[in-house]
Amino acid sequence: MKHHASIPDATSDFTRLDRRSFLKTGIGGTLFLSTVSTSMALSGCASSPSERLTAVGTRMDARYRFQFLTDTDIEIFEALLPAMLAPVLPEQPQARRQVVASTIERIDSGISHFGPPNQSELRRLLDLLGFGFTRVTIARVWSSWPNVSTAEADAFLRRWQSSRIGLFNNGYMALVKITNVAFYGHQDQWPLSGYPGPPRWAMEALPQFNNA
Amino acid sequence: MSVIDPIEQGLESGWSVTDGASLTENRTVEADVVVIGTGAGGGTSAEILARAGLSVILVEEGGLYHQKDFKMDELASYASLYQDGMSRVTRDGAIAILQGRCVGGSTTVNWTSSFRTPEATLNYWANQLGMEDLSPDAMAPWFDGREKRHNISPWTMDPNTNNDILRQGCEKLGYSWQTIPRNVKGCWDLGYCGFGCPTNAKQGALTTTIPGALENNATLFYRLRADRLVMAQDRIDHLLASAMTEDGVTPSGVTVTLKARHFVVAASAIGSPGLLLRSDIPDPYNRVGKRSFLHPVNATTAVMADKVEPFYGAPQSIYSDEFNFKEGVDGPAGFKLEVPPLHPAMAAGVVPHHGQQQADAMANLPWTQSMLALVRDGFHADSPGGTVSLRDDGSPVLDYPVSDYLWTGLRKAFHTMAELQFAAGARKVSFVHMDSAWYSSWPEARAALDELPMAPHRVRLFTAHQMGGCGMGQKPEDSVVNSFGQHHQVANLSVHDASIFPTSIGANPQLSVYALAARNSSRLASKLSN
Repeated sequence: MKHHASIPDATSDFTRLDRRSFLKTGIGGTLFLSTVSTSMALSGCASSPSERLTAVGTRMDARYRFQFLTDTDIEIFEALLPAMLAPVLPEQPQARRQVVASTIERIDSGISHFGPPNQSELRRLLDLLGFGFTRVTIARVWSSWPNVSTAEADAFLRRWQSSRIGLFNNGYMALVKITNVAFYGHQDQWPLSGYPGPPRWAMEALPQFNNA
Repeated sequence: MSVIDPIEQGLESGWSVTDGASLTENRTVEADVVVIGTGAGGGTSAEILARAGLSVILVEEGGLYHQKDFKMDELASYASLYQDGMSRVTRDGAIAILQGRCVGGSTTVNWTSSFRTPEATLNYWANQLGMEDLSPDAMAPWFDGREKRHNISPWTMDPNTNNDILRQGCEKLGYSWQTIPRNVKGCWDLGYCGFGCPTNAKQGALTTTIPGALENNATLFYRLRADRLVMAQDRIDHLLASAMTEDGVTPSGVTVTLKARHFVVAASAIGSPGLLLRSDIPDPYNRVGKRSFLHPVNATTAVMADKVEPFYGAPQSIYSDEFNFKEGVDGPAGFKLEVPPLHPAMAAGVVPHHGQQQADAMANLPWTQSMLALVRDGFHADSPGGTVSLRDDGSPVLDYPVSDYLWTGLRKAFHTMAELQFAAGARKVSFVHMDSAWYSSWPEARAALDELPMAPHRVRLFTAHQMGGCGMGQKPEDSVVNSFGQHHQVANLSVHDASIFPTSIGANPQLSVYALAARNSSRLASKLSN
C-alpha cells in the first residue's frame, strides 16, 4: 500500500484498497487518516480549539472554554446530535439549542481527559469529517455540516454503523459513544432513562455532599 | 452514620505525600525500594516492604482521589479515575478497556469481586508450566492472609435484582451458582463501587495497603509518570519520572529522579510492559509485551417484567462457574458468568446504537438486566493473547486479535446468557452486538444468534481484566520473570502485578494480584533486609 502527500491520490488508494487486506491492517486506516491530517495542516487548515459557543447560538452563559473541539468540530456535532439523540431532544428551538450546546461542552470536557494518543486519533477522525473533500468522498456527506439535515446525518451514521470496514464502524462507535455518554450521563437527562440519581438518604448522610 | 476517611486523616497526620503538579523544580530522591504503581500489586508491595523497615517510595501517574471526591457521579468519575478518561481501547478499537488510573489503581473503581485464583488455573501453572511453588496448597496461606487484610468474604446481604436474575436463571436451568466474595467493611449496598466508594467501605488499596505503607513512613508521589528505568551496567540505577500538571495528562516539564536499591514495577498489564519496553530493559528472547490477556467480555441485555433498577445495590454478588472449566482447563474456551451494574452513562456507552433504537433501550433502563461472560484466554494454543507495544510517543498500546477459538467461546456465552435471561422471565433480550435486534423468545434469539457475525466491531467487547505481558515462568526463553516476580535478567527488578500471569485467571484478578504480590514482597523484604 502506497501513500501520497496529496489527498486525491490517497483517496483513490483508499477506494481501490482490497477490503480484506485493509481490514487486516488496521494501521492502513491510521496511515490514511494521518495523510489527511498532514495534508490539511499543509493547506493551512490546522485546527485549534474553539473559544466558546457564541452566546447568540446557545442562549447560554457562555463561560465554557473549549479545550479540544474546533469550530468545525462543533458544527459536526451540531449536525449529528439531532440524529443521534432523536427522538429525545426537546422540540422547542431554544431548549433544543441549549441541550445540544451543553452536550457538546460535556463532550469536549470528556475528551480533555482522553490523553494525547486517543485525542490525536479523534482529531484525525474529526479532521476527516470536517475537511470538505474527505467529508464528501469518505463520509459521503454532500452538504457542509451546518446545512446537513437530520435525515442526512442519520444516513451517514447508519452507513458507518453497518459498513463492512472496521475503520468506519470504529468511527461510528467513537462518535456515538462519546455523545451518548455525555448526554445520558448528565443529571438533566436522567429522567430519559428513569434513573432517579444516587439515593437521597445516602447523600444526606455523607459528608462530601454537605460542604456545598 | 459516621464515616472515617483514612486518607483525609493520614494527610492531616503528616504523611509524606507529594502532588507532582505542585513541583516546580527537578529533584532527586532516594529510598531502598521504588514501587511503580499503587494498585493491587503496588499497594500490597509497598505496605509489606515498609513494614519490614525498608524505605519505600510509591510512584503513581494518576491523581489522589478519596472520599471528598467520590460523589456517585458517573461523568466526573469516568473522566478522573479511569485510564484515558474511560476511552482506552485495544489498537483496532474493537475492545473497550476499563482500567483505573488513580491512587489505588483499579481497586479504587472495581466492583469488589474477590476470588481466589481458581485451583484449575494454579494446577495448570504448576503442572503445565512447571511452577509447582504456586500450587493451591502453597498459595492457600497467602489467600488467607489477603482475605483478612481486605476483609474479603462472601456477601451476606440479599443480591440486588440484577444479580438475583442470574441466580434465578441458573436455578431454572439447573446450572450451579454461588455468592461472590467482596472486599468490603460496613458496606451500605449503594451500588456506586465503580465511581470510587463514597463510604470508604471498599477495602481496596486506597483504604488498606496505601495507608498501611504511608503509616510506615513510605513516601507517595502522585501525578508523577514513570518514564524510564535507567540501567548502570547490569542493574537499574534510577527511575526517571515526569511530573504532570493539574490536568493529570500533560507533563509540566519538571522531572524527578528516583534512586533505589531495588525497583518493583506494578504499573498494570499494559503499563508494566510499556515501561520495560521504553526502558530497553534486557529482553534477549523478546518476551516483554507478549501473551497479554484480557478475559474478553461480551454481554446481553434483557428487559424484565418487573423493575430491576440495575443502578442500585452491590454491583456483583452472584456468579456462575458452570461453564468456566467444564470442558477442561485447556479445552474449548470456558467463561465465568457475572452481571454488570448499569448506570445511565455506562448503559448508553455499552448499547451500540443511536436515535430511536438507543432512546428506547435507555427508556427501559429501570427494567433492564444485563449479564456478562468473562472468557478465559491463554490456556490453549489457539488463544495466544495480544501484544503490548509502544506508540511513537512512548505510550503503550495493546494489539489484541480475537482468535476463532475465542469467538466460538463468545458465541457460546451469548447463547447461554440469553437462555438464562429468558429462563428467568425476560420479556425480550438483545445481544450487545451492532447487528442485534430485540428478541421476544428464546427460539427467536437462538435462531438470530446463529446468523450474527462473530467479528471485531460487530460484537461489542469489553474488558476490565488486563493480565500478562511480563509473564512468569521457569525459563527465560519463554518468560520475563520467575515465579517470585524476579526479573530473569536484572537482579534489582521485580514485577508485582497482573502482568506476570502466564495465562488469564478465569476469575476477577484482584485477589490473585494481592496474594502473589504479598508472597513475592515478603520474600523480597527478607532479601533486602539481610
